[in-house]
Amino acid sequence: MRKTTSPAVDAVAKTGKWLVLIFFLIITFIPLLWLVISSFKTDLELISRPFHLPEVWQIQNYVRAFKLSDLHLLFLHSIIVSAVATGLNIFVASMASYALSRFRFGLNNVILSLILAGVLIPIIALMVPYFQLISRLGIYDSLLALILTYAAINLPISVFLIHGFMGTVPKELEEAGLIDGCSFWQRYAKIVFPLSKLGVVTAGTFVFLYAWNEFIYALLLTSSVRARTLQLGIRFFKSQFRAEYTAMYAALVVTIIPSIAVYIIFHEKIIQGLSSGAVKG
Amino acid sequence: MTLHKHWKGIALFLLPALILYGAFFIYPLGFVFSLSFTKWNGISPPQFRGLKNFVDLALDSTFRLSVRNNFIWALSLGFLQIFLAALVAMILTRRPTGWRVLRTIYFLPNVISQVAIAMLWMAIYNAEHGVLNQILTSIGLEQWTHNWLGEIETALSAIIAQQVLYIGYFMIIILAGTMAIPVSFYEAAEIDGANVWQQEIHITLPMVRGILITAMTLAMAYGMRHFEATFLMTAGGPANSTSVMGLMLYNKMGHLDYGHANAVGAVLIILGGVVIVSIRALLGQRQAAAEVRQ
Repeated sequence: MRKTTSPAVDAVAKTGKWLVLIFFLIITFIPLLWLVISSFKTDLELISRPFHLPEVWQIQNYVRAFKLSDLHLLFLHSIIVSAVATGLNIFVASMASYALSRFRFGLNNVILSLILAGVLIPIIALMVPYFQLISRLGIYDSLLALILTYAAINLPISVFLIHGFMGTVPKELEEAGLIDGCSFWQRYAKIVFPLSKLGVVTAGTFVFLYAWNEFIYALLLTSSVRARTLQLGIRFFKSQFRAEYTAMYAALVVTIIPSIAVYIIFHEKIIQGLSSGAVKG
Repeated sequence: MTLHKHWKGIALFLLPALILYGAFFIYPLGFVFSLSFTKWNGISPPQFRGLKNFVDLALDSTFRLSVRNNFIWALSLGFLQIFLAALVAMILTRRPTGWRVLRTIYFLPNVISQVAIAMLWMAIYNAEHGVLNQILTSIGLEQWTHNWLGEIETALSAIIAQQVLYIGYFMIIILAGTMAIPVSFYEAAEIDGANVWQQEIHITLPMVRGILITAMTLAMAYGMRHFEATFLMTAGGPANSTSVMGLMLYNKMGHLDYGHANAVGAVLIILGGVVIVSIRALLGQRQAAAEVRQ
């Protein structure tokens, strides 16, 4: 196809390109920025001048936020659930990945495919069995219920990510360990696990963000404030804060900060993790 | 490595994962399907009633509406969102100024909870002092203002639009493919006089076909399982116009109608599978579903 590039076509493409990019920048970023700015306004300013900067930045909205809700308690619950669920998930998934990727015993592919097929199951369809399971285990309305559920739900994705990395660790390293008298456990914990750090960190980031943001099963498997996480707590903000919208926005910002912090630190890993899935797929 | 020496270790290492997987994937699946044929309130023993639950659902206009809405979700995400994500990925692949920052920002909403995002958009869509209506009024389009989430005509589109516009996740996936295309292909096309459009259509699209189909499959699967934003923003209203299968399951469960709840779950799982299989068959691409994520 031999054609001369017309300057008009290129000009249109260039303008269109920037229009698209700016549109999505507005959609993805401006509402969040608006939320943060609004959280520093007075309630009157929020209604009368919604798109202006605050006259005085109202830090006390954040003090009000902690006073009006159980924010500190919810925050603690969310940290515990997310951290322990991530730890448990990575521990279980990496052990399974080690056994599956370092040894050939005929059932490897069957077990691996079975676990990975878990991602095809719409987890929300399992509300009734999860509720029954957690009730029968006697852990309804506890942080443990959420920890187990979140760790289990994310097994397929973690095994997918970690298994891939473990497969690339050179066999010689492990054989050297074997000669030095390393046990099965030591070869996993001291040689293969540390060398699969990239996959482990990526998987851990995904699980942590999932657990931090999860809402449906927090709603279904807990009932009282003793096991309430931040995401569930937000639902009660409306009644707790009544008409104090700016304090409510301050509370919302507090719930978002950890996600954004994790994202800022690990965004390269997240993008890599998603990309590797796409390429292998 | 010699197996017989290690079988104990292998078994011990696999055990925790298999227990968790069995408890949270295999047992629940069997549970949903077997109890979908029963009448059960969670307390007294379940009574077998054959396919009656499914017949009830088929005759229930709210359920039919929910299924229709799930398909609207699947098509909107599978076509509209993937189109937009691919468009942006193609633009970013050419590495315009600031493309790394833009990529990072576009993905940002994906790490924030649905609950927070829903609260934000409820503030935007609010009828009285919502941001969207204020903007429309200030530029003289007052007749375009709506009670976005409260009117049957606009509620479903409003929730879908809010989700479709967050293209970050699929943009990253597609970008992984477009970035892998050698720059020399484009340089050669440039020399032959192909303009930007021609390059995208004749080089980029065929090269990322596989990834696009994967992304489409994923997006449609998400559409079939959609629940959270609707639950939070409209709870299915007004007049059930935004209801989806997941929401019906939740409501049936709330009424201790576990038989029908599991029947909805079974339909959700099957229809989700049908969508995944049929889009693969239609587009002639067999790929492991390994990259499908919740």
